[in-house]
Amino acid sequence: MKILATVKRVPDPETSIKVKPDGSGIVTDNVKWVINPFDEIAIEEALRIKEKVAGSEVVLVSIGGNAAPNDVKEQLRTGLAMGADGAILVVTDAALEPLVVARALAKLVETEKPDLVVMGKQAIDDDSNAAGQMLAELLGWPQATFASKVELSGDQKSATVIREVDGGLETLRFPLPGIVTADLRLNEPRYASLPGIMKARKKELKEIPIGDLEKAGLDVSGRTQLVKMEPPPKRQAGKLVESVDQLVELLHTEAKVI
Amino acid sequence: MSGAAVNTYKADLRAIQFTLYEHLHVEQVFTHAAFSHLSREECDATIEQCLRFVNAYTGPLNGLADRAGCVLENGVVRTPAGFKEAWRKLFELGFMSFPMPREGGGFGGPHAIAVVLEELQSGANTAFNMYQGLTHGAADLIEVFARHEDKERFLPPMMEGRFAGTMCLSEPHAGSDVGATKTRARHVEGNLYDIAGTKCWISAGDHDLTENIIHLVLARIDGAPAGTKGLSLFIVPKIRVNEDGSLGKPNDVVTASIEHKLGIRASATAVLNFGENGGCRGILVGDQPHMGMRQMFRMMNGARIAVGVQGLSVASTAYLNALAYARERRQGSSVKHFKDPNAPRVAIIEHADVRRMLLEMKAKVEGMRTLALKLALHFDLAYALAKTDEAKAMYHQGQVDLLTPIVKAYCSDQSFRITELAIQTYGGAGYVTDHPVEQYCRDAKIFSIYEGTNHIQALDLVARKLQEHGGENFRQFLKEIAEFVDTYSHQPGIGAEVRALGEATDALQRGAGALMEFFMGGKIDQVTLVANAFLESMAEVTIAHLLLQAAIIADSKRGQHGDDQSQEDFDFYSGKVMAAKHYVSYVLPGVHAKIGAMIGGDRSALDVTDGGFSTAF
Repeated sequence: MKILATVKRVPDPETSIKVKPDGSGIVTDNVKWVINPFDEIAIEEALRIKEKVAGSEVVLVSIGGNAAPNDVKEQLRTGLAMGADGAILVVTDAALEPLVVARALAKLVETEKPDLVVMGKQAIDDDSNAAGQMLAELLGWPQATFASKVELSGDQKSATVIREVDGGLETLRFPLPGIVTADLRLNEPRYASLPGIMKARKKELKEIPIGDLEKAGLDVSGRTQLVKMEPPPKRQAGKLVESVDQLVELLHTEAKVI
Repeated sequence: MSGAAVNTYKADLRAIQFTLYEHLHVEQVFTHAAFSHLSREECDATIEQCLRFVNAYTGPLNGLADRAGCVLENGVVRTPAGFKEAWRKLFELGFMSFPMPREGGGFGGPHAIAVVLEELQSGANTAFNMYQGLTHGAADLIEVFARHEDKERFLPPMMEGRFAGTMCLSEPHAGSDVGATKTRARHVEGNLYDIAGTKCWISAGDHDLTENIIHLVLARIDGAPAGTKGLSLFIVPKIRVNEDGSLGKPNDVVTASIEHKLGIRASATAVLNFGENGGCRGILVGDQPHMGMRQMFRMMNGARIAVGVQGLSVASTAYLNALAYARERRQGSSVKHFKDPNAPRVAIIEHADVRRMLLEMKAKVEGMRTLALKLALHFDLAYALAKTDEAKAMYHQGQVDLLTPIVKAYCSDQSFRITELAIQTYGGAGYVTDHPVEQYCRDAKIFSIYEGTNHIQALDLVARKLQEHGGENFRQFLKEIAEFVDTYSHQPGIGAEVRALGEATDALQRGAGALMEFFMGGKIDQVTLVANAFLESMAEVTIAHLLLQAAIIADSKRGQHGDDQSQEDFDFYSGKVMAAKHYVSYVLPGVHAKIGAMIGGDRSALDVTDGGFSTAF
């Protein structure tokens, strides 16, 4: 069984993000980059399937730069150190919108022919939550988003996925090949072990210039444009009230929440 | 504080990486065959994963485990909740194997990186790391000295974390005085001996983290000469290990008690009775009698460096916690508005005295880290060059030998002082258990005592290390500083500080001369009186040299990027320059005071009568 797991490089959630004064993006100096936490969960799930199903292979896929300051290779190596078998990097320095990402992934699916694509449900930088769904549409494959449990049938021809939906859980079964996007509670990703880190260096990390995919028909034109970024408004100072009565009154008259 | 698991560990990866790659250029080791199987990439990934591990697993247990302590119940030591799980995870991830040789199943990584891993692990949870540190030290000794079949029997389970290790030197009447060891070994057959005696202060002496514990025990074979020369070293498992590796019957090793301590309370410090019932078997290490001290010194030298790194690690997280608190805590107004009672309250980091404490801590912590990493780099280069360039390898080994007592003693002494300054920075909040610094201070105190008290280190330095190779190691050490002073004594912005280093180094040399005169004049008591002051002076010269080196590198980078430089980069590099200047201005002058007193030859502490200390008792 072959599984593709997607990897996006995002700023460490613990980094404090600063927006550039001109609003064109975030300041990236000294930002620590990590694998998108939801993608990390996706990798972990792929590795767990691999551990259960003999002869399986996990290939990581990313789209991004191969040199500083946009180098994604470090995150791919981390995924390889966790235990993935190989990695593919589609090389481009351009910031791509979800649809272009989905189209590029669809091209890779054509050549790699995976039985399953596991992705993070969204990236924590722009929170688009779109590439997985778009990829399913482009491929005409079934999808199960926001997965909190994934189980394959004994013959690996179908998957049963529990999804986290508003107010409850939904169980879906669908035939493979298909797409699963990982939610927070799907699993707890492992750390790369020392043997894993040492082995990662010898694993294949294949770079494909995005131009190669364009020659094969990839359309990189986007439909959206980043207009402006701005930081959230600063929190206003709180107000100290004298009594519970006053609090209730203010919640009613000023905050209008009760 | 209640029972919540809170991770208070803080590490400054950028500062660590600066020292590794921008200052010491540790990446040079990868050009040598001994380390060419690795690159910076794997080393950085290892450091990163290790930091993730400690933040998630051992850091959150630090405070809880301190309050819970270890418990001896029905003859078995129980470690605090969570330790077993963390231990299992630690060995699953395999960090202990990083510096172990590849032939022994390790990864053959450089010690300069291993020291960073140790800093992270020990800083996050010093007590927990004791169990791993001793296991590593014991495994390393077995790897180097044991017979092939003993390696095969004991090493793999130690590397997998199924067996732990200890070192057993001290006895009730033989602490610093190891030569007084009474534990006996009676020959049974082959390399097997019956062991009988009591060992105390045994760190990680008993616990429930592993299925077996391998004690390395110093004992005297019947008929062997008195003193250290008659000591032999034995592998003494808690539970006997059959030749096929399976566990046999208990080996008559009894935990008599564990200590109740000021700090590292989650590290079990045991009194162990060997062979109370005549059933304790030991295997002579390498089948070589009377070589025990020489063999044990391998583990002791490693452990001494490790204790220095412990000092660094706790000091660093104490400093970074104090810094975070000082940025947050508001108290008092700016001194500029001291007459205005309505002036806005400011964060305490704005007060000059708090800044003084913070910068002193920063300078010492970063100086100590550089010193420890430089020692480790010497170690790696000595190893890497051993077969290709004997002269260079000898130079590097000489610096390892010379700097070992300095790393052990200075980093451990200063660790306690830095953690104390961290408490002072917090004020009252630092004295209570709501904040982590009081524990750091308690944990840090043992570092100057165990693994050879700091006076033993000072004696090792003045009586042995200074003279080694006809004084060549010390000459090389001085030469390196002299060349630095020559090159940079007129460096814009920092030349005065470099010249001050030159003067302090001259004073240090005069101090070494005075020591020689005391030796020649038979005034051995005077040597022992001033040995600690000499060690501290030499450490301060060393640290000042390293901080100034770092400052000059940082200063060149601060200018390089001009307006494009980010505020963070500018702050980072400026901080390096300021820390060096502060250390040279406020700490280094102490060298002149100490050396002056040495040369002055004051003997008051020797000449005062015993009753002169007080007539009250």
